[in-house]
Amino acid sequence: MTNRRSFLASSLGIAVLGGSMPLALMRAAGAQPLPALGASIDPRNVLVVIQMNGGNDGLNTVVPYSDDAYHRVRPVIGVAPNTVLKLDDRIGLNPALASLMELYKEGRVALVQGVGYPNPNRSHFEATQIWETASPERPQQSGWLGRYLDRTYPANVKPPSMFEAVALGDTLPTALVAQHVDVPAIGSLGGYAYNTIKDAKTSAGALYDGAGPGESPYLEMIADTARNAYHGGDALRAKIADYTPKAAYPNDAFSQQLKLAAQLIGSDAGTRIVFVSIGSFDTHANQRAVQDRLLKMMGDGLKAFYADLAAHQIDKNVLAMTFSEFGRRVTQNASNGTDHGTAMPLFVIGGAVKGGIYGDHPSLTDLDNGDLKFHTDFRAVYATVLKNWLGHDPADVLAGSFQTLPLV
Amino acid sequence: MRDIKLDTSTDPQVGFRPPGSLDPEPLAPYSGRFTVRHAAHLLRRAGFGGAQADVARAQSLGMPGAVDALLHPEGDDFDFPAYPANDVLYTMNGGMARSGTQLWWLDRMLRTKRPLTEKMTLFWHGHFATSIDKVPAALMAEQINLFRAQGMGNFRTLLASVSVDPAMSVWLDNRYNTKAHPNENYAREVMELFALGLGNYTEDDVKNAARAFTGWTYNNKTQQVVFNPKLHDDDTKTFLGHTGPFGLQDVVAIIVSRPVHQRFIARALLEYFVYSDPEPELIEGLAQTYALSGYDIAKTMGTILRSNVFYSTRAYRAIPKSPIEFAIGLLRYAGTTHVPANLPYALRRMGQEPLAPPSVKGWDGGPAWINTNTLLARFNYVNALAAQAPPKADAPNIQPDAIVAQTGFDAPRVVEAIVSAALQDDVTRDVRETIVGYLTQSDAVGSAPFGRENYQQKIRGAVALTLNLPVNQLN
Repeated sequence: MTNRRSFLASSLGIAVLGGSMPLALMRAAGAQPLPALGASIDPRNVLVVIQMNGGNDGLNTVVPYSDDAYHRVRPVIGVAPNTVLKLDDRIGLNPALASLMELYKEGRVALVQGVGYPNPNRSHFEATQIWETASPERPQQSGWLGRYLDRTYPANVKPPSMFEAVALGDTLPTALVAQHVDVPAIGSLGGYAYNTIKDAKTSAGALYDGAGPGESPYLEMIADTARNAYHGGDALRAKIADYTPKAAYPNDAFSQQLKLAAQLIGSDAGTRIVFVSIGSFDTHANQRAVQDRLLKMMGDGLKAFYADLAAHQIDKNVLAMTFSEFGRRVTQNASNGTDHGTAMPLFVIGGAVKGGIYGDHPSLTDLDNGDLKFHTDFRAVYATVLKNWLGHDPADVLAGSFQTLPLV
Repeated sequence: MRDIKLDTSTDPQVGFRPPGSLDPEPLAPYSGRFTVRHAAHLLRRAGFGGAQADVARAQSLGMPGAVDALLHPEGDDFDFPAYPANDVLYTMNGGMARSGTQLWWLDRMLRTKRPLTEKMTLFWHGHFATSIDKVPAALMAEQINLFRAQGMGNFRTLLASVSVDPAMSVWLDNRYNTKAHPNENYAREVMELFALGLGNYTEDDVKNAARAFTGWTYNNKTQQVVFNPKLHDDDTKTFLGHTGPFGLQDVVAIIVSRPVHQRFIARALLEYFVYSDPEPELIEGLAQTYALSGYDIAKTMGTILRSNVFYSTRAYRAIPKSPIEFAIGLLRYAGTTHVPANLPYALRRMGQEPLAPPSVKGWDGGPAWINTNTLLARFNYVNALAAQAPPKADAPNIQPDAIVAQTGFDAPRVVEAIVSAALQDDVTRDVRETIVGYLTQSDAVGSAPFGRENYQQKIRGAVALTLNLPVNQLN
């Protein structure tokens, strides 16, 4: 079986699902992950990507409170200057982000302003695909993190853990769509399980564990993957059992996802890439109530997450970054909300981040068709994280080359 | 535009070509035995599979008869609604319009007496991948109806129709393509994804085709695509070596006349209906068939479905089932005539939500269908379905009574009946023994061995084990 498999991989020159390759074969092939770029990169570094789903309004997240133009375009939904959590004499955070402000004061938050890309797309679907594939010009199937995984673990190299990368949610986000690394999507700890009819579970396991290679080259791939699917839930619960959260997480779904993320990262599961999402930030009407609640949820969840990680002394190895498919229009609409816009700020948190503000707040008067102009391409942020945090050559993952930011 | 070189190394996904070598006459009509396994293979590929009786009926017709019945179905189909109900389409609840339109189509896949027509509809949906994530549900339904009406006809006609289809016009922005402001989005995808393939045209060809496609505007109120001559560029264009004041029909005619186009379509059909990564000589042979037929899809499909290569061991169970093939096949096998309301959601978890392909590239298919998440979704769907007993509306028609009436409480014979109906015996002896073991042995859960008290539930369990075998993930 081993021989046939390596024969297939080499003679056809195609992927044979690294994620499900038998360990014996890995050893036989002497396969090793590709070395990281710089020697100074800690191989234990973890990336947590937080999707602010629906298009987060940047102007009410990072508020240019001293700019009269802001108050003119946001007469009802604007954040009052005396409530803003001031970052400097021009901008400040929405007061709902009080918990994030605490992390900021500790120097653990980098704020990157004016992030976007040329010819911005205002469709949720297309803009999300653009951010997650990092391919604004052409549609692409694989995600930017999926490509990172594929390049780090070529077809004949199995990641050290089947939970190397995990999406916390019911379906795999495009960002983690890889060609041969199998990324589990885990909606909840209990729900990630093979649910059999009453008493058939043992027999199902016997069928998958005993499945032979068969004629079709697909059959062995399916049998391998079936074993992962069958055993995955139990393996996950066993692996994270040795991690006890040491912070009080709020009860909302997002914070609970971060709690599971901490368990995955800090336990034997050995997870290095996590994708979580929070939303919906699609605030076309009555924005303040909705967005403020979500921002508070995000900030409080992150505060608990980093307190937990710090108590386990792994906070320095965990970098979180936010993104959203687009910012929103500068001018509020007639429903006290905002419509789909363009550039926005994003946050890079924790790890060895150099806290502070990166880039100017986009002008509220020099607009592009009523929208903010971006100055930092989102792929520059990806490139920064890939190169300076994960130790991976960005050119391997992103088409084109992008100047990295000094934030980590 | 900048040269984007990243795409080609991972996209498109290349699947596994079966081991072994190509038949000497791969496209010549098959003249060997036409067994139950051959008939089931034909129904799975040219449709969505069937119950044991459907397979037996196809087998009794013989290969040419069974293929003719698919290509030229006689008699009326069920009276399916032409569109989803208005209260589904125009509800304020977008989720209802989405799932209601998906269920409208899935119902037809499940019950139609013309499975090949519906399979081709699904094929073109993946080929001209358009998504309800951007396009209103009513237009998606109309596009599916277009694929059904023309998907077995002439590709030249189909491509021209798709070019002025309202859903496509919204999806790839050709509605904004005017002489003053050309929009290349649609023209580019026609070349790259729909008809020629990367590397078979130049950037100038894209620009000139886009100019030829100008003027086809979309009226939001009537939901129609309308030609406005004032917005059309009728100046001279040079396209793929031809020069003239081309319009949409001219560009389509030039495209289909190209041998690279003919190979492109031949390859797409072979990948979908025969096996992954087909040999160049096989592609070339089918491309000639397609060209000689005058771009006739039904004739080309007839050649495929009668061919030696189609019935070869190399093609047998050689392609992973798509989630839709898997789920509809499951329901057809189980004799269910009602699409469970949760099926669109389940298909999303399996990686193929109908009407919502991930991008204009459609679904990668092949090995991309198979990962831990999608397999777990398949397994748990089967397990939940098999656990449902009548009179629940979604209960599969597993009929434990009919099975034991035929076999008695003889576990090996029960397993024989199940694996022969569900998988045409495509299982090893070890697998049979494991399932027999499930029926006969008490396990840690403490259930009693197979008998009068528990046969209903045990047979459902054995069916679930059978349907969740790796081999049932293959078409």
